[in-house]
Amino acid sequence: MNLDKIIAGFFIILAMTINFGFFYGEMDSLETHSKYELFAAIIINVIATTLKLGDKTQIGSVLLATSLVADIQLISAALIWTVAEYAYTIDVEIASIIISLSGGALLANLTSVALYVGETVRSKR
Amino acid sequence: MKNSSLWIVLHKMRMPAIVIILTYTISIIGLLLIDGVDDQGNIYKMSIFDAFYFITYTASTIGFGETPYEFTYSQKIWVTFCIYFTVIGWFYGFGALVSLLQNKMLIDEVSKLKFRWQVNSIKRKFIIILGFNYVTSEILKKVIDSDIRSVVIEQDENKANNLILENYTPTVPILIADAKDQNSLFSAGIKNSNCKAVVSLFDDDELNLTVAVKSKLINKKVALAVKSSSSNHTENLQDINVDIIVNTFEIMAKELKMAINAPHLLKLEKWLYKIDKLDARVPSIPKGKYLICGYGRLGKHIYKVLKHEDIELQFIEINENMAKNLSQEEKEIITFANADDKKVQIMADIRNTKAILAFTNNNTVNLSIIATAKKLNPDIITMAREESVDDFSIFSIADIDYLFIPSKIMFNKTINALLNPLSDIFISSFVDQHEIWAQKLIRKLIETIDNDPLIYELEINKYDSPQIYRALFHKKEVSLEIFTTSLYNRKHKNNVMPLLLIRNGERFMLPDWNIKLELEDKILFACDKNAKSDIEYIAQNAYEFQYALTGEEKKLFTGFIK
Repeated sequence: MNLDKIIAGFFIILAMTINFGFFYGEMDSLETHSKYELFAAIIINVIATTLKLGDKTQIGSVLLATSLVADIQLISAALIWTVAEYAYTIDVEIASIIISLSGGALLANLTSVALYVGETVRSKR
Repeated sequence: MKNSSLWIVLHKMRMPAIVIILTYTISIIGLLLIDGVDDQGNIYKMSIFDAFYFITYTASTIGFGETPYEFTYSQKIWVTFCIYFTVIGWFYGFGALVSLLQNKMLIDEVSKLKFRWQVNSIKRKFIIILGFNYVTSEILKKVIDSDIRSVVIEQDENKANNLILENYTPTVPILIADAKDQNSLFSAGIKNSNCKAVVSLFDDDELNLTVAVKSKLINKKVALAVKSSSSNHTENLQDINVDIIVNTFEIMAKELKMAINAPHLLKLEKWLYKIDKLDARVPSIPKGKYLICGYGRLGKHIYKVLKHEDIELQFIEINENMAKNLSQEEKEIITFANADDKKVQIMADIRNTKAILAFTNNNTVNLSIIATAKKLNPDIITMAREESVDDFSIFSIADIDYLFIPSKIMFNKTINALLNPLSDIFISSFVDQHEIWAQKLIRKLIETIDNDPLIYELEINKYDSPQIYRALFHKKEVSLEIFTTSLYNRKHKNNVMPLLLIRNGERFMLPDWNIKLELEDKILFACDKNAKSDIEYIAQNAYEFQYALTGEEKKLFTGFIK
């Protein structure tokens, strides 16, 4: 058992679950999507990314890449939301952009988790 | 992945990054939870963006004030807490990140990357020079002048900074690393196809050998110029096919022999090294008794070269430990004493000695030996060895007849062998010629050209001489004579002389003009400026070649008219 591994695994899976929590709901309206959940998803994803910095292994690099993808998608979703909120109006199109961006990030999270689980299963200890 | 320090730095960035993220998150969440009041007294909840904006400028200590509305006391309490919390987190995290970026390992890694990038962006021919000192810096200048790029590996950071201050144009990339390490050789581009040579002139023979072996194993095609200071090492280097072996002591002994037996040969060599003109004064050294101070590596080479000559040799060596490994024959001619001592010199019969050779490895001792000898015998011919030359040489004002400077000799030999390989072969082929041969050649060179002819090397191949290559390829006969043709008027001859022709490894000294050219011949010419440009035109330009060969101007569209 390795504390580093537990923390890393915890954040990778938490990033996926929280992101799913935000993503789940109607596709064209933000009423069923909480901004606080998006905020939490971003924070957890960024932490998960930093935890993979400097990992020299092949799997570590791939995990870093996937969580970078998730970060970019979620942060751009938040950016669009903020800009639309303060400088524009949130219509159906904007709402669906935000939600589908988080959906993309969810796919990246899923890949991360799949890779992580795959590596754990393969390891003999 | 070789550059592990980059990964270590990234790994170390985790903690500061997480500290910043966590402090931000906690503060933002606090601000989101606590109710505020807007300017009309209504309850106002901060949006995520409001909170993020506030924390961003508070944590970085910019402090724009309370936005969007003035805070309530409960908010102020939380913000007071946040300020200590985030500012400390920010300073720790940001400071750690900045110090990581200034990490020596990371900077080294980045400079290595930059070096590799610079080396790979060199598209011309280049050579790798190991170690930066007086000799290699002179080599560097010459190499840059002849339009060849170079790359330097130097271990000492101060010396590397000296190179950077020299501001060579085009830039000379420098790597601060151990030359023994094959990774630094790889970084310096030894595997690149345009890497032509590696120059390793360290004083340490072992180090030179290591570099030579590694370089030859990595890339067989690259030429090596390596210094050696003993015959044992020279043999080792020959075994691994090192192209240019610079043994300064051997060269000095040979030059000494030439100076005694055939001074004109030495003059030819000096002309090829571009030190002297062909009509320079030739001092002669009378044969007789020679007193040589110092019997180290140089002394041994001199003994080997001169023992069969008609000269009485007498050595004086200060170090008595040398006596152990000497043969009986050698012991007879060596006195173990301090050559600088007046009594010792008188004992060695300095008054009947023709020449004194101060060849110890200590400059001061050499100067002092010469001074003592001159006092005892004013007519004596003086020769001295000068170690470690800087810009100013104290020996040059000491009025010494022959000055041997190992570093200059090393430089001349290396640069000549690198830039004019044929002229180097020419020199090594004529060392055993007679004085008369040299006198004749010098007279002929001065008559046909001038007192300081240029050297020009030509290879019959697709790139250097496409016209001749094509003609020979189509089985036309072209003789060497074509290169004498003046393009101004075909009936006139240019001032040019062939010195050497190499065909399949065979050397033809002073080849005849009627010799028929063959593919891959290498020819060394002595010529003047005009002749050189004509030779280049004939070799490369279809019209000029046609004119030189047949006397006709080549016509365009001949194919259509026929």
